[in-house]
Amino acid sequence: MNKTIMKKITFYAGLIVVWQVIAMAGIWPNSIFPSPVEVVEDLAYSASDGSLFLGIGTSMWRLIVGLSIAIVGGMILGIFMARVKTVNQTIGSLVLGLQSIPSIAWVPLAILWFGLTDAGIIFVTSIGAIFAVTINTYTGVKNIDPNYIEAARNMGARGSQLITNVLIPAAFPYMISGFKQGWAFAWRGVIGAEILFSFLGLGFLLNVGRYQYDVSQVIAIMLVIMGIGMLIDGFVFKKIENKVMFRWGLR
Amino acid sequence: MTKLESKNIVKYFNHEGHTLKALGGIDLQVEAGDFVCIVGPSGCGKSTFLRIAAGLTSPEEGQIFFDGKPISTTGPERIMVFQEGALFPWLKVVDNVEFGLKIAGIPKNKRSEISKRYLDMMQLTKFADSYTFQLSTGMKQRVAIARALAMDPDVLLMDEPFAALDTQTRDLLLVELQLIWERTKKTIVFVTHNVSEAAVLGNKVVVFSHRPSVVKKEIKIDYRRPRLVEDENLAKYQKEILAELRPEVKSSSTGEKNE
Repeated sequence: MNKTIMKKITFYAGLIVVWQVIAMAGIWPNSIFPSPVEVVEDLAYSASDGSLFLGIGTSMWRLIVGLSIAIVGGMILGIFMARVKTVNQTIGSLVLGLQSIPSIAWVPLAILWFGLTDAGIIFVTSIGAIFAVTINTYTGVKNIDPNYIEAARNMGARGSQLITNVLIPAAFPYMISGFKQGWAFAWRGVIGAEILFSFLGLGFLLNVGRYQYDVSQVIAIMLVIMGIGMLIDGFVFKKIENKVMFRWGLR
Repeated sequence: MTKLESKNIVKYFNHEGHTLKALGGIDLQVEAGDFVCIVGPSGCGKSTFLRIAAGLTSPEEGQIFFDGKPISTTGPERIMVFQEGALFPWLKVVDNVEFGLKIAGIPKNKRSEISKRYLDMMQLTKFADSYTFQLSTGMKQRVAIARALAMDPDVLLMDEPFAALDTQTRDLLLVELQLIWERTKKTIVFVTHNVSEAAVLGNKVVVFSHRPSVVKKEIKIDYRRPRLVEDENLAKYQKEILAELRPEVKSSSTGEKNE
């Protein structure tokens, strides 16, 4: 365990050193290839004037709202697809088709429908994530051991009780993969939409950097986007996943 | 008093595209407080019969009556114990036992009181907070029995609950189940393919014929309890059951290849 952490630290430290050396070698001008020190300075600057935190806050808020809608909607849709044949035969095929549309491709429609608003960006985020949640929920519910459902029915579980007490917890190991995929799609969707909407958020800050020819700001924001991604993966989803896997004896 | 009465139950299976008549008119009476074992060749529909009694599936013809009323759906008075236990892996042992009570809307303190009693009866108290993967197969079946008893059903419908157990664990549970039955006065219908199990447990052993199956023979076993598997006095009952069963097993393994 400690060994892997050491390996990681060495790797990242080495990466930064190599980056600094290349920047100092002066192959490209600083304005094109800034050094890590300049990137950190830029980060510190946007942190001190608050624009960084406003950007993070805005993007995170949109992510959370968009992803929540996607998770709730995707679960409902997935459960209905798995339990009602007609829904699967009709909406099911549409879901597979819609999933192949990259979330960015929804941006023009979102702008026309919602204008340059939060709602438009949240729409793009949700629609980018919902089908991954749907498909994984569907697979999860389809794979439930039929004995669980029979045992629950035998003990009196019906309708919504069956859904909340059996279908969702029994399908949860699959659903968690759906949430993970959905979150990854949603994060891409938020940033992509913010670049195109150019209306606050981390994506907008990327755009600002571009218009100001400020490469170090662009890189700084990209690192923030990556860092948030790693944090959420490692602390939110990994934790839930481990807990579920433990209970099921899968780890 | 008759607890369960089956009248002319007919049920078809779908087997690789064609229909098979599995149950060809089952007539059977189970008295209140009786311990009835059903044996039959594999594929004869004995588990299906149990599922019909539980209300999990319905027959094409005929009707099962519970206390004189026709069964149309599941009910807390008829609880099943499944072959593999069908415990919920996302719940702790105690929450598994309380599942049906929670569904029925029984308050938390009442639930814990009930689960405590049955966990105690099945010697599971130490494992109340375990998850099911941490239990042996025998432990899992104890939990499954505790979960069924916690519902306080009139009838326990047991579908080969000991089939997956090793011999020592099964012998132990065979004795325990007899003690529980004597203590709780439940009506038990127990499906098995194991003749010695049937002879140890049943007051009445019902032999199903090869499909389309009907009740071929009912054998009464009037013998002291708790009975042990190794009891030599049970051998004559086993022989009697086997004599009825053997020709059926033969016709099911030679008569039809698509089993």
